[in-house]
Amino acid sequence: MVDTTADEPRSTLAVSGHTETAPSGSSRLLDVLRATGIGLVVPSLFVLIWWLTVVAGVFPESVLPSPVTVVKSLWIWAFGNKEDHGLYAGTLSLAIMASGARVIVGYTIAAVLGIAIGVPTGASRVIGQLIDPFIQLMRPIPITAWVPLSLIFFGFDFKNAVFLVALGSFFPIVVNTIEGVRGVNRNLVKVGRMVGARKLKLLWFFILPASLPSIFVGLRLGIGLAWVLVIVAELLSVKNGIGYTLLDAYSFNRFDVVIAAMIMLGVMGFLSDRIILGIQKIFLRWHHEVSIHAE
Amino acid sequence: MLSNEIVVCENLYRSFYSKEFGTKDVLRNINFRMSSEDFVVIIGPSGCGKSTLLNIIAGFDSPTAGRVMVRGRVVEEPGPEKAMVFQDYALLPWLNARENVEIGLRIQKVPRADRKARALRVLDLVGLSASAELPVYKMSGGMQQRVSIARALALEPVVLLMDEPFGAVDAFQRAIMQRELTRIWKATNASIIFVTHSLDEAIFLGNRVLAMAPGGIGITGELSIDLPRPRDPMSMDFAALKRKLFGMLTAHLDEPANTFLE
Repeated sequence: MVDTTADEPRSTLAVSGHTETAPSGSSRLLDVLRATGIGLVVPSLFVLIWWLTVVAGVFPESVLPSPVTVVKSLWIWAFGNKEDHGLYAGTLSLAIMASGARVIVGYTIAAVLGIAIGVPTGASRVIGQLIDPFIQLMRPIPITAWVPLSLIFFGFDFKNAVFLVALGSFFPIVVNTIEGVRGVNRNLVKVGRMVGARKLKLLWFFILPASLPSIFVGLRLGIGLAWVLVIVAELLSVKNGIGYTLLDAYSFNRFDVVIAAMIMLGVMGFLSDRIILGIQKIFLRWHHEVSIHAE
Repeated sequence: MLSNEIVVCENLYRSFYSKEFGTKDVLRNINFRMSSEDFVVIIGPSGCGKSTLLNIIAGFDSPTAGRVMVRGRVVEEPGPEKAMVFQDYALLPWLNARENVEIGLRIQKVPRADRKARALRVLDLVGLSASAELPVYKMSGGMQQRVSIARALALEPVVLLMDEPFGAVDAFQRAIMQRELTRIWKATNASIIFVTHSLDEAIFLGNRVLAMAPGGIGITGELSIDLPRPRDPMSMDFAALKRKLFGMLTAHLDEPANTFLE
């Protein structure tokens, strides 16, 4: 009868690495520097082993280029020109824009639809019964299995890539939105009804903000999948972008460019995740702080 | 009907169905009337239906049979005239204290300046005027419960429903909050229905205490308390009332009440 479990989820949200006592300015800077230093140890070792492998001649240089070669190729890809450097020179910004545009458009569609469909599906029993089984049936189909149909419907261009990106990021966003809405503290909904909020006002002032933590979990999973799927689209059909460059360089045995493209994909994925995290920080300051204060 | 009868429960029944136990009556033939100057405490063990009764009065739940009337109107849905204070506070953690108190007025489209003034007035009443702009997630449990009480008072309810509101705060906070609630009750003339399972809390707060027993047995007795306030839980009179109330709560059991009290 008494909801003693209401406070429990809070404690499970406790974020490690946060302390209750605020460190002074200088010791905080030292902390950050030390954390960064520790964080660089493993990546440095990785590059060192890679470099040693190349120096020892385990693989021919044409298959596994040295880190220095890759950095040079990346530089040329970014800032070189065709006259001096031939192929893969100065086209990086175009590739980023091509892939980035597909990700941004596809992901935005997925986020808008995912939240717009997820909130009513989670909030209303009837809409849930209507929509939820369909989502659960479609979700197990790997997005890559949609490629043939997508090609027939959208052709070998932008729309095909956008469709695959949107479809791929839609599912984690919609599923987490539904879960978030269903998991809203029931007393919060009671408060909404008590103060006279009905339907849209109940959703807007109470249910939507309370489900944001879960929605952002979906948004972060979604952005990761968006980059996976833009590469799938570019490997299979579209004729430009970072993923296309990767495939193209592979067919010309330019493994330096292949690895440079891989690095750029990592950077782009990391940056887009940081952007989502930044937006999350603005919207979920309360949630973050709640988790710190949990005992 | 008398005009000062603000809550009337008539022949209330509520049964729940579960696979394990089949259909069970949680409430069976509950009748009570409450006038505007009452501070009613409903006390009983877990599972006796006291929270169900409160939820029905609030309009969150419907009775299987019978009806509840608040100020002469049959309760059909929740509304600001029956404001509830929850044990887990149920505050909106993304808002500060004042915005939490204002949320109902915002839904009712009260102009910004008006609602701010009203919010600050009730926050002052619960002793939080200095913390109006503080985010609620930075507050202690006791402070959060004050915000929750202020939010309910801002709705200017006919009756204030409190569901074990001090169950989640520590013993010291709890004693302070009980005193505070007595003061707020006197200052606002609010009518309160307060649910608890603590004998001390019931006798400290109520001027009418209803004892409830589980299994659909319902209200087993009523105690009128006219001790002067603030009441002293260490006094002989208090102890005598406690013994009497415990007797009411255990009257339906086979063992006589005094076997529990040594």
